[in-house]
Amino acid sequence: MNDYEESRRAGARLAAEHNIDDPFAAAIRATRMAMIVTDPSQAENPIIFANDAFLRLTGYGRDEVIGRNCRFLQGPNTDPKAIETLRAAVAAGEDASVDLLNYRKDGSTFWNALYLSPVRNDAGDIVYFFGSQLDVSDRKVVELRARDRSDDLRHEVEARTRELTQALEQKTVLLHEVDHRVKNNLQLISSLLLLQNRRVADPNVKASLKGMLGRVNAIATVHRRLFQSEDVERFDVSAFIRDLVADLMGSIQRDDIEMQLDLERVDIPAAKAAPLALVVNELLTNALRHGFPEGRGGRIFVGVRRENGDFRIEITDDGVGIGKTSPVSGFGLTIVQLLCQQLKARGETTDAEPGTRVVVLLPVNGAH
Amino acid sequence: MSGKALDVLIVEDEMLLAIELEYLVEEVGCHALGCAMSADEAVDLAARLRPDLALIDVHLSDGPTGIDVARRIHEDCGGTALFMTANVKRLPEDFAGACGVIGKPYSEHGVKTALAYLACCLTEGRAPGLPPVGLTLAPRYAQLWGLDQPLSKSA
Repeated sequence: MNDYEESRRAGARLAAEHNIDDPFAAAIRATRMAMIVTDPSQAENPIIFANDAFLRLTGYGRDEVIGRNCRFLQGPNTDPKAIETLRAAVAAGEDASVDLLNYRKDGSTFWNALYLSPVRNDAGDIVYFFGSQLDVSDRKVVELRARDRSDDLRHEVEARTRELTQALEQKTVLLHEVDHRVKNNLQLISSLLLLQNRRVADPNVKASLKGMLGRVNAIATVHRRLFQSEDVERFDVSAFIRDLVADLMGSIQRDDIEMQLDLERVDIPAAKAAPLALVVNELLTNALRHGFPEGRGGRIFVGVRRENGDFRIEITDDGVGIGKTSPVSGFGLTIVQLLCQQLKARGETTDAEPGTRVVVLLPVNGAH
Repeated sequence: MSGKALDVLIVEDEMLLAIELEYLVEEVGCHALGCAMSADEAVDLAARLRPDLALIDVHLSDGPTGIDVARRIHEDCGGTALFMTANVKRLPEDFAGACGVIGKPYSEHGVKTALAYLACCLTEGRAPGLPPVGLTLAPRYAQLWGLDQPLSKSA
């Protein structure tokens, strides 16, 4: 084996450079840290010196390592990236520090914290590489176990997130489905009322049906608005009033009545939307029907704003005024009273001279 | 009503809604050609009767086929489609070639003003103003009919 002979001679030269009494050489031979020296001037950069600790760590005899490149320590599970790091450092003549899975002579493995550094002569040329090996299997096992555990945790979190996302999607689909059915059923109810209204001749029955149709429309207007905003929990009262007024005024066809709106954006909980819509619908239709008999035009003001912890809704007409024509529809008034009670709202009706002013105060947070 | 009397086809699988819609169509001076309850029926009627306007629900008796119906009426029959659905948000971005949507639940007045408005758009080739409350125009038609801000007055 030429390599072996040459490496031995190189090793002998290295030893000769250091006196037998050299305390540094003695320390290297005796230390518990595994160490080797390689000779880059030879092909394959073979080991020319290995201390006893290296032989103990790897299980090889000295004759089996001198003259060989270190790669005999590598095996099938050694990380190719770590090997590449080493190769690049040697090629560039730089230090390298890597954790490498190495194989003993008996095939067992150990984690090798390898530190490799070039040794230069006075002229700055690389004459040797010095390598030290530390068995860090214990630390590595703990590290790998921790990484496995955090991988497990991450997988668990990902799986749970997927489940929750799916559940949310299902819930959203269900919500849209229910919303869709509510809207279609409201449409069906209003079509029923309209169809029956076409059939009956009695003006009193017609008026009743029209009144119910208006109430259903008010609820329908709420539902059109409810799911339009991103926040399904809140309901914009002013936007609703704008829609309702447009629809009421359009269907009543009274160009002699002017609507004046002063609407501040006010949000209420979605659960209160339908009862409040019914109250506003009742008050508006009352003002239109009783304040302005045929031929008597005028103006209706609708205002919404916040005032001292209340939402203040005002509907004022300059019509004929309370009690000056037929009494206000009994049923409509009952609806307003009951729903105000439900909403914990206060309603006040005063003479606007001329006309009528109704103010509804709805507490922002629950009760008065 | 301004504009000519439109021939209107109703595509709706809810019988009571369809009948009531027919009344409304006639009341604004349009002509109701008939009602279809399924996709095949709708396309067949549209091919034979050539409506100016088709009012189309998304969910028909054979499933959510209204979108396909709108596309076929628009592409094959030369009619203008208008959706009437409770699920405005699920419509495709291009409205499947339809000119817009009336969201359910609609009101009697809402449908009438929308029909009168569309009759004017279709005959004049341009909008008489912003669409009425309850009617949302498809961006392509809003542009076609000369509206710069098509969605500023959506339902």
